[in-house]
Amino acid sequence: MSQATIIRRIGRREIHSPRSALSIAAAIALLAAVLWLMLETVLALTGNSPLLIAPAELAHGIAVLGTATLPAALIAGGFGLALLGIFFVGAAILPGNKARHVMANARSAVVVDRDVLASAIARTARTAARLAPEQVTASVGHRDIHVRLHPSSGRAVDQQGVREAVDREFASYQLARALKVTVVVAPHGAVGV
Amino acid sequence: MNGTHRGLNRTLLGVFGLALIAAGGLAVLAGSSPAFAQGWTRTGTDLWAGIQTQLAAAKIPGQDISWWSVAAAGLLMVIAILLVCWIASQGGGRTKELATGDDRAGTTTVETAVAGQAIKAALADNKQVLSAAVQAWRLKGGNGLRISLQARKGASPKELMAVLGDLVDGLDVLLGEEIPVLIRIKSGTRSRFARTERVA
Repeated sequence: MSQATIIRRIGRREIHSPRSALSIAAAIALLAAVLWLMLETVLALTGNSPLLIAPAELAHGIAVLGTATLPAALIAGGFGLALLGIFFVGAAILPGNKARHVMANARSAVVVDRDVLASAIARTARTAARLAPEQVTASVGHRDIHVRLHPSSGRAVDQQGVREAVDREFASYQLARALKVTVVVAPHGAVGV
Repeated sequence: MNGTHRGLNRTLLGVFGLALIAAGGLAVLAGSSPAFAQGWTRTGTDLWAGIQTQLAAAKIPGQDISWWSVAAAGLLMVIAILLVCWIASQGGGRTKELATGDDRAGTTTVETAVAGQAIKAALADNKQVLSAAVQAWRLKGGNGLRISLQARKGASPKELMAVLGDLVDGLDVLLGEEIPVLIRIKSGTRSRFARTERVA
């Protein structure tokens, strides 16, 4: 692999979930079931009384489950299992994006938390608009950036100027994914700020 | 960053999910259609009778247990071991060695701590960096270096990237080779509680 490919791969791995926690949870659940079945089999082989249910009885129970159980209970249980299954398949297929973005860099993979980007953009907007820190909020999502300004009552804010400053700052980050920037000025001014 | 097999995780989770969906779908069908439920019981009873004949046909001489039961217990054991391997494969791949080089005089090993101390010392005076940590992990054909730092609230990621870029260039000169580097600019509890540096 070339250096650029390795860098891209590292960055991509860092912004997606590895699904480790869910894998460990699923493996522990399966392991408990398998160990229990093994214990029951060994108990049955050695002629001891079963812990919960003997394997032969369990197999017979599953064989006649369709008619031996209340239909409503079967439907409810089936729906529960299917929903759990859909959750696991979803975890397998969905990208599992983390709240991070990749910054373009030739030498290293640079991955930044969205919080860091948001606070830097909020600082830029607040400097351009000459507002106090509490009057500006910025949020960075997977696809877009929202900047909300809450100017003091009776003082106009140059929305175009703020927008240009935010655009300039954001462009300098060279994020691998292009984000849409929106700047909103609250219609009502804040009193006493 | 670590050596977790992500494709394996997703494949196994997907298979597990599909099995659950299949089981759930069968149960719903059996609950909503009496004919299907009767078919289930008929097939199940036939199957179980067949299995019991097989069990009886392979008795261990002189005893009342079947070879098949022993084989089933062994199979369950193998599955349990594989599951433990799956759990153990999460994470891992971390190493203390940043780079190694062989020549006729012997082997030279550079430990991660060398890079760690150099980078921490260089960032100690930087007001925008609250803390820095360095870690190495194994990659195909060499080791990778991960530098993670907590940025002060409002710090410009561009400036941090430029500072880190210079440090990485220095490291390249020091090591004599370009190892893969991951730079993580994070926020955390310290970023949340530390005051904003108003004069950047």
